[in-house]
Amino acid sequence: MITRLLATVRGLLARRRIEREIDEELRDHLQREIEAHRSRGVSAEDARRLALRDLGGLTQTIESTRAVRATWLDSVWRDVAYAARVLRRSPRFTATALTLLVLGIGATTAIVSIAYTVLVRPLPYAHSDRLVFLAEKEGSGIAWPNFEDWRRRATSFEGLASSLADSVIRRGGQFPQQVDSRSVTVNFFGVLGTTPFQGRFFHESDARPDAAPTAVLSHAFAIREFGSAQAAVGQTLTMSGRAYTAIGVLPPGFRYMTMADVYLLLEPFVAANYRGMQNRLNHTALYAVARLKPGVGVTAARAEMQTIAAALGLEYPATNRGSDNPACCIYIVPLADRIVGDMAPTLTVVAGAVVLLLLIACVNLAGLLLNKSASRADEFGIRAAIGGSRWDLIRQLLIEQALLVLIGGVLGAVAGAAILSALVGLAPREMPRLDEIHLDLVVLSWTTIVSCACAFLFGIVPAVKASSVSGQEVVVRSGRGATRSAAALRQAVMLAEIAVATVLLSGAGLMVHSMVRLARVDPGFDPNNLQTVMFALTGPQWPDARRQVFYNAVVERLRALPGVENVALTTALPILGSNWWTVFNTQGKTAEHWISTGEFPNADTVLVTASYFDTLRIPLVKGRYFDQTDTPNSAPVAIVSSNVARKFWPNEDPLGQQIRQGFPSDPFGPWRTVVGIVGDVRQQGVDRNATPQLFMPVIQVPRATVFTIVRTRETVSASSIEAAIHDLDRNVSVFNDRTVDQLMRDSSSRRRIAMIVLSAFGVVAVLLAAIGVYGVIAQAVAERRREIGVRMALGATGGQIRGLFLRHGLIVVAVGIACGVGAALAAARSLASLVFGVTVSDPATLSAVAALLTVVTLLACYMPARSATRVDPLEALRSE
Amino acid sequence: MNKTQLLQGTLDLLILRILELGPNHGWGISNRLQQISKDGLKTSQGSLYPALHRLEMRGEVKSEMTASENNRRARVYTITRAGRKRLNQETETWEAFALSMRRVLEEEQ
Repeated sequence: MITRLLATVRGLLARRRIEREIDEELRDHLQREIEAHRSRGVSAEDARRLALRDLGGLTQTIESTRAVRATWLDSVWRDVAYAARVLRRSPRFTATALTLLVLGIGATTAIVSIAYTVLVRPLPYAHSDRLVFLAEKEGSGIAWPNFEDWRRRATSFEGLASSLADSVIRRGGQFPQQVDSRSVTVNFFGVLGTTPFQGRFFHESDARPDAAPTAVLSHAFAIREFGSAQAAVGQTLTMSGRAYTAIGVLPPGFRYMTMADVYLLLEPFVAANYRGMQNRLNHTALYAVARLKPGVGVTAARAEMQTIAAALGLEYPATNRGSDNPACCIYIVPLADRIVGDMAPTLTVVAGAVVLLLLIACVNLAGLLLNKSASRADEFGIRAAIGGSRWDLIRQLLIEQALLVLIGGVLGAVAGAAILSALVGLAPREMPRLDEIHLDLVVLSWTTIVSCACAFLFGIVPAVKASSVSGQEVVVRSGRGATRSAAALRQAVMLAEIAVATVLLSGAGLMVHSMVRLARVDPGFDPNNLQTVMFALTGPQWPDARRQVFYNAVVERLRALPGVENVALTTALPILGSNWWTVFNTQGKTAEHWISTGEFPNADTVLVTASYFDTLRIPLVKGRYFDQTDTPNSAPVAIVSSNVARKFWPNEDPLGQQIRQGFPSDPFGPWRTVVGIVGDVRQQGVDRNATPQLFMPVIQVPRATVFTIVRTRETVSASSIEAAIHDLDRNVSVFNDRTVDQLMRDSSSRRRIAMIVLSAFGVVAVLLAAIGVYGVIAQAVAERRREIGVRMALGATGGQIRGLFLRHGLIVVAVGIACGVGAALAAARSLASLVFGVTVSDPATLSAVAALLTVVTLLACYMPARSATRVDPLEALRSE
Repeated sequence: MNKTQLLQGTLDLLILRILELGPNHGWGISNRLQQISKDGLKTSQGSLYPALHRLEMRGEVKSEMTASENNRRARVYTITRAGRKRLNQETETWEAFALSMRRVLEEEQ
């Protein structure tokens, strides 16, 4: 078998050589035979004649010997050449089929690659299916003491670790540099099942209070800063005022949630009460990850954690009790779910759309091939009549389709790569696993197989049927074209196309509608022309007094820049929102009062400069903004948003109220007087309701890290802002420049992706459906030319003829749209979390889509129907 | 059976038998064929070459172009292990067939 195969391959490679050698061999034979005859005394002429006779002719023998060498591959090659000729001879068919394949294969592959990478492919950790993510109620951050209790009590896990995404300032170069970091518990890498690429990870001994500070570096950072992973181990990095020794390097591409370059130990931060982490009321952005013991499911672990939360509620009623308290419940989900997070519905919708598109492309391809084989029925019949075997015909068709799909597949892969990079460009930078996305070969082969199967099924089955008719039948039938069953099939194809187009277009309609609604939402501030940067005043050289002076200096300095209208400092950027949620209590109301209302007063807390409200153009409702009279030493003041006033002082004047952060039993900070009420701001995102906001002067509560918001009249570059801050102090690090506009765009990118993909596919689907409808009606007109001729000869008017075809088309269109609307209603539920301001069954959108499709498809019916009336009766009849 | 008509299998068998004696070229094989069969089994030389190439495709002989006199090249065939195996098998089959034929024919007399 193998020798045979090798001989075949060799034969192909060395065809010329073999033919020449056969030539030589036979001539040698002839020469020897002639010489043998001559040696017996035969004349030269006779010797030659005898030799040729015995050989049975030179040319014939050469031919028959060559024929032995010819293999099945030669006949395949002949078929391929023929198929290529067939495709070349009908360029319109070939171009349309290729477009469909490229679209189907390319778009599907690109999008399914993304969806597969983000949604399906296992996370890059050992046995990642056993990893779970833990947080407190509804995903809020964990108070460190709670985490310690969980870890002590939970039995469902092999290990429970926690971590905190952070950033540190590294000194060394010309300017201090901000480095993304993650503070992790000692067991963090162990729980994830990651092994060091170089060096080691943290040990318990590194977490001891007297241990030297240690750090683990990302592979990319080690290469960038030290040249190699090997060289990085043992290096010292000065970060946030401490000298850390790099003890190990992570494997290339390691990532947990966010990208980080430096991993530090969390325990020393907790020991130093960093960000008040020892406080059980303080829910910082600490999240946990755990590895389930083999055989323990998420449900079982969730039940256990719920028991633990309830027990903690009893033990620490002041901090862990109450259904509003983040500590009341424990949020536990598979890690993969958490990482994919809210991109999941977008990707599901997009992948659904693309599957529909592939379906429509296949259906169209099917229609195309049906038409093609119908018009070739005569060719097949004649081939059968002159003795072509059924297998010959099938093989020929298989090769034709394979050639088509092969070219389509190659072009589709190219198109897929292009679509993929376009979509990745559209995706929000925060999209999970973005860097892992690439064109997936498995997906590519699947889509190619689906297209192949479709091509073979619809290209070959009808042809085989056609070939089974007897030769005589074909000759008699000649010129009448397709059979009735083929026409029914084409109608089914047309119906399916219209239905699928309806589904896609409805989705697109809903998303466009949502985006319009979203664009009309008043965020409560003016998001245009706002440039932001962030700066950090960290370390012992920045006591509060110096920070307060620096804040004022920055505002003054930036205001003087050309093109700048106003400048504000804040601890929370709009859209990104505040990550400091606090309960506060009010003078004159007891804890019991609030417990009876079911909710303690609470708000997202934002620290701002006096210029903040003017800069963002947040309207004043009552009272006053912060101003120059609010200084570090003046009476502590606060401003609340209208909804705070409505919710917590429904029947009182909020102005003049005294408030203090923290629970009544555990307050912190001074009492503050409410001096102003401002409009509600959609601080946490345009698509979220405005949350209660509590503003305090940053000058009274100085912070190390603040955002600068600059309202510009003309473009002011982030680098000129950065330069201005560096002018004030060269050692301040400035980073993260972006515009509020950008933040708004990023925050709606999930919806925008869904809208763009659905709209693009919707338009393509409508076009394809229109082409499909046109094709079916045109074919029907062509097939019934004779009938039209007869009808016209008998006095039918143009209108009657047109009506004949329009009625026919109208029924199919109506049924198709009805099916499509039904399917759209069923499919719309997957859009539920993406639509904004409309219901998924929005009647206005659905009827607009139905109307649009009706107009387009009827137009597609009308054009061929009109051409039917131009049939000349005499000619139509004569042509038979 | 017409003497000049040979079953294809028989021709293959004869070729393999000849090559078992040593490598040879087409003309040599053709001569040996005539000698062995004392001109009784005359094969058409025209069918010899396709048969040789078929045997090579099946891996039962292998060939090599070698230089011969007068600046010509000749193809020399050698039997392979697979060829020998087939020769042995077919010889046995042939002998069994011939034996049973002889028995039948002798009984008839």
